[in-house]
Amino acid sequence: MYRLILIASVLLSNSLMASHHEQVEDVGLTFEDKLAACSACHGVNGDQPLMPDYPILSGQYQDYLEVALKAYKTGRRQHMIMNMQVQALALTDADISKLAAYFASKPGLIGLGE
Amino acid sequence: MVFRIFFASLLLMFLSFGSLADGDVAQGEIKAETCLGCHAVTGYNNVYPTYHVPKLGGQSAGYIASALNAYKNGTRVHGTMHANVANLTDTDIADIAAFMSSYKK
Repeated sequence: MYRLILIASVLLSNSLMASHHEQVEDVGLTFEDKLAACSACHGVNGDQPLMPDYPILSGQYQDYLEVALKAYKTGRRQHMIMNMQVQALALTDADISKLAAYFASKPGLIGLGE
Repeated sequence: MVFRIFFASLLLMFLSFGSLADGDVAQGEIKAETCLGCHAVTGYNNVYPTYHVPKLGGQSAGYIASALNAYKNGTRVHGTMHANVANLTDTDIADIAAFMSSYKK
């Protein structure tokens, strides 16, 4: 738990210090670090959101998760925490695909027609 | 300093809930009729750009409400979603969220 708080704090401070760059810069985080940051709030499999208004990610369509993350990155979706996280984690398109694939592969959400 | 920022952001998260009223599942099922036109079609796609319409069955009610409010107030941009939620009341949103979160196969 302390490790997660530490990671989250580092991410937050990074984002506050980061200036606006178009290019994604290397912030020295591995893919596993980035995944851990997502899991800190959404649960290890994306099925245990920390807060009642956080989404379940597990079982969601991969392409939808990618679109959502990219929208937080561009600002098409405004959400204080997510906009900050996406910037602080310096998510590349490749990271976004891998993160989305990871959470999509876990059991969870179902379609309303299933 | 870093920890202070972290705890300040945690506090903001808690404050950002607002009131999460419990919705009525049965009412929500009726009010979600329009939603089902896209969200109940397995594998259905959004177009321009093309991606799957998200799965909402079993999603957290608080998140559904938060997302619908964001489409309503423009903090999320999506033409069709905005048009569909523009006239929903807080009660409608809570009911729809309750229905979707309780949905099972």
